[in-house]
Amino acid sequence: MVASVQSDAPSDAVMELVGVRKTYPGPVEVLHGIDLTIGRGELLSIVGPSGSGKSTMLHLMGTLDLPTTGSVLINGVDVATLSDRQLSSFRARTLGFVFQQFYLIDGVSAVDNVANGLLYSGVSLPKRRSAAIAALTRVGLGHRLYSPPAKLSGGERQRVAIARALIARPAIVLADEPTGSLDTQTGQEVLALLRELNGDGTTVIVITHDPAVAEAMDRQVTIRDGLIVSDVARTLEVAR
Amino acid sequence: MSTAAAVRPARLSLTDTARVGASGLSARPLRSLLSALGIAIGIAAVTSVLGISASSQAALIAQLDSLGTNLLQVQAGQTFGGSSSSLPLTAEPMLTRIAPVLVESSVATVAANAYRTHYVPAGETNGIQVKAAKTNLLEALAGTMSEGSFITSATENYPVVVLGSLAAERLGFDHWIPNATVDIGGQQYLVAGIMNSMPLAPDIDRSALMGYPQAMNGFGMSAAPTTVYVRTTPDQVDAVGSVLPATVNPANPNEVTVSQPSDALSARIAANDAFNSLFLGLGAVALLVGGVGIANVMVISVLERRSEIGLRRALGATKGNIRNQFLTESLLLAGAGGVAGVALGIVITLIYATTRNVQLVVPVSAVAGGIAISLLLGAIAGLYPAIRAARLSPTDALRSV
Ligand SMILES: Nc1ncnc2c1ncn2[C@@H]1O[C@H](COP(=O)(O)OP(=O)(O)OP(=O)(O)O)[C@@H](O)[C@H]1O
Ligand SMILES: [Mg+2]
Repeated sequence: MVASVQSDAPSDAVMELVGVRKTYPGPVEVLHGIDLTIGRGELLSIVGPSGSGKSTMLHLMGTLDLPTTGSVLINGVDVATLSDRQLSSFRARTLGFVFQQFYLIDGVSAVDNVANGLLYSGVSLPKRRSAAIAALTRVGLGHRLYSPPAKLSGGERQRVAIARALIARPAIVLADEPTGSLDTQTGQEVLALLRELNGDGTTVIVITHDPAVAEAMDRQVTIRDGLIVSDVARTLEVAR
Repeated sequence: MSTAAAVRPARLSLTDTARVGASGLSARPLRSLLSALGIAIGIAAVTSVLGISASSQAALIAQLDSLGTNLLQVQAGQTFGGSSSSLPLTAEPMLTRIAPVLVESSVATVAANAYRTHYVPAGETNGIQVKAAKTNLLEALAGTMSEGSFITSATENYPVVVLGSLAAERLGFDHWIPNATVDIGGQQYLVAGIMNSMPLAPDIDRSALMGYPQAMNGFGMSAAPTTVYVRTTPDQVDAVGSVLPATVNPANPNEVTVSQPSDALSARIAANDAFNSLFLGLGAVALLVGGVGIANVMVISVLERRSEIGLRRALGATKGNIRNQFLTESLLLAGAGGVAGVALGIVITLIYATTRNVQLVVPVSAVAGGIAISLLLGAIAGLYPAIRAARLSPTDALRSV
C-alpha cells in the first residue's frame, strides 16, 4: 500500500537537491546534507517539527537563498550559476509562493494583489487584471474581486494568495504552512485548491508541521534536525 | 520551458513603476500628506518670494519704462562759499541748442512758505517748498495731474498754485476742491489742481508750484532757475550729460550737479534682491527640513515593509525593481510636495499682486526650478532607504514579521 519511491528518470526531475547544507551565521548548520529529487507534477509535503529546517529548505528550493554547499537544480539548471537578476526572473516565471502569513499588500484590492503575481514578468496591466479576475474566480472569489485584504477572512486571504501564486502558471508552487493560520475546515478547502492546481500538472510542494496536512499529499518527506528521515509515497489508488 | 527565456528579467514599464510607488503612498495617506508638506512649505516660500519679487520688479520696471530713463536733472550746486546758487539766466536758452535735447523745463525756489490759512503758525511749514515752475514741467517729468489742471500760460501770471501729492496731503487736501486756496506770503493762492506722485522728482511731490511771472512779481525772484530738467533722445543720455555742466554754467561748470533721477528707481529694483535672498535662505532651510522628513519617512517605510519586500522578491522583483519602487515613492512624495508648493506660492503671489495692484508675474524658472529641486530632494532623500531595501536579502525580509 505504501511504498518507498525513487524519483523517475532525471529528465523528468523538476527540482533536485544534491548534498545541500545550509549554515547560518553563528555559525549554525541548519541543513546537514539534503538529497531530494522531485518529479514534474508531484504533490509533495515536507513535514517536520518546528525548527527542523523546513522553511530554510523552501527558501533554497525557491531560489530565495543559496545553499552553503551542495546544489539546487531546477529544470536541470544549477541555481548557483545564475545571477541575482536571473534568479528574480526565474522566480517570476517558474515559481509560485504561498505563505502562512499570506503577505497581501494592504490598501490594494484583491485583484491588484493577484495581478502583482504577473507584475515582474512584463505583462501589461490590462492583461494582468483580466488574468487576476480569472484566477480569483478560479479560487472561488469572483465575488470579492475589489475587496481590500483587510476586509477578507483568513481563508479568503489565503485563496487570494493562491490565486497570486498560480496566475503566472508556474511549474512549481511552494507553500510554507499554507493552512497554518486557518481553521481545519478552511485549511481543507485551501489544500483542495492546491490539489486541484496539481491536477493541472503543477508541481506542488507543501511545507507543514501538521501530520494531517502532510498525509493529504501524495508523497511525504519527513525531516528532523536538518536531515531527511523518511520519504514515502502512496499510489494514487490508495490516496483517493 | 526554455531556460534562456526564463533567465532574462522583464523590465518594469514606467507606468508600472509609478503605480507600484504610488500604491505604497496611498496605503498611508496621512503620513504621505504630512511628509510632503515640508517640501510644499519650502517650495511655496521660494516660489512666492521669487514671484512677489518678480511682480514688484515688473511693476517698477514698467514704471521706469513709462517714466523713461532719458531724464537728466541739472542743479545749481553749492557755491564755494557754501550758499546755494541759481543757474545762470543763460542756462536754458543754451540748453535748447543741444540737438538731442527733446524737452527742457525748470523750477526755481521761491523764498516763501505755504500754509492752509494765514492762521497757521509760521513755523509749521510741513516741509513744503514753494517753487516757480515752467508750464511744460509735467511734460518733461512725464508727470500727470490727479485732479484739476497744471499752471498754464493763462494762470502763470496770477496767484495760482498746483500742489504736489505730498504737499496736498500735508496741507489737508484729501482731494481737490475747486476754489480752494492756500496762503503763501500772506496772499491767498487759488489751488488749480493736485499732481500725482512723481517718482522721478520726489521734491516736486513736496512742493507748491506757481508760475514764473507770478513768483517774480510777488516775491521779487529772478528768472534764473535752480533746477533744470532735460529730456534727451534715449541713446544720447550720457553724451548730453557730459556736456551739460559747461553748457549750463560756462563760467563755473564745477558748481553744477547733473544726475539721472531714474537711477534711484533702478537702485530700488536692485535693492529688492538683497531682501529676497533672506527669504530664499529661509525657504532653503524649510526645503532641507522637508527633505530630511522625507528621508525619515522612507527609512521607516522600508523597515515596516520588509515582508512586502520579501514577497515582491519572491514574485520575481529584482533588486533594481525594489530600489526603483522606493525611489519612485520618494520622488512622488517630494514631487507632489513640489507641485503643491508651487501652486501655493502662485496663490500667495496672486494675493500680493491683487492687494498691491501690480501685475502677477511668476517666473517660469521659479516654477520649473521649484519642481526640479523637490524632485532632486526626493531622489537624494529616497536613495539611501531605497538601496537598503534593495539590499535586503529575500529570506531575511520574509522571516521578519
Ligand atoms: N537567518 C538565520 N540566522 C540564524 N539562524 C536561523 C536563521 N534562519 C533560521 N535560523 C534557524 O534555523 C533553524 C531552522 O529554521 P526554519 O525556519 O527553517 O525552521 P522551520 O522548520 O521552518 O520551523 P517552523 O516550523 O517553526 O517554521 C531554526 O533553529 C532557526 O532558528
Ligand atoms: Mg517555518
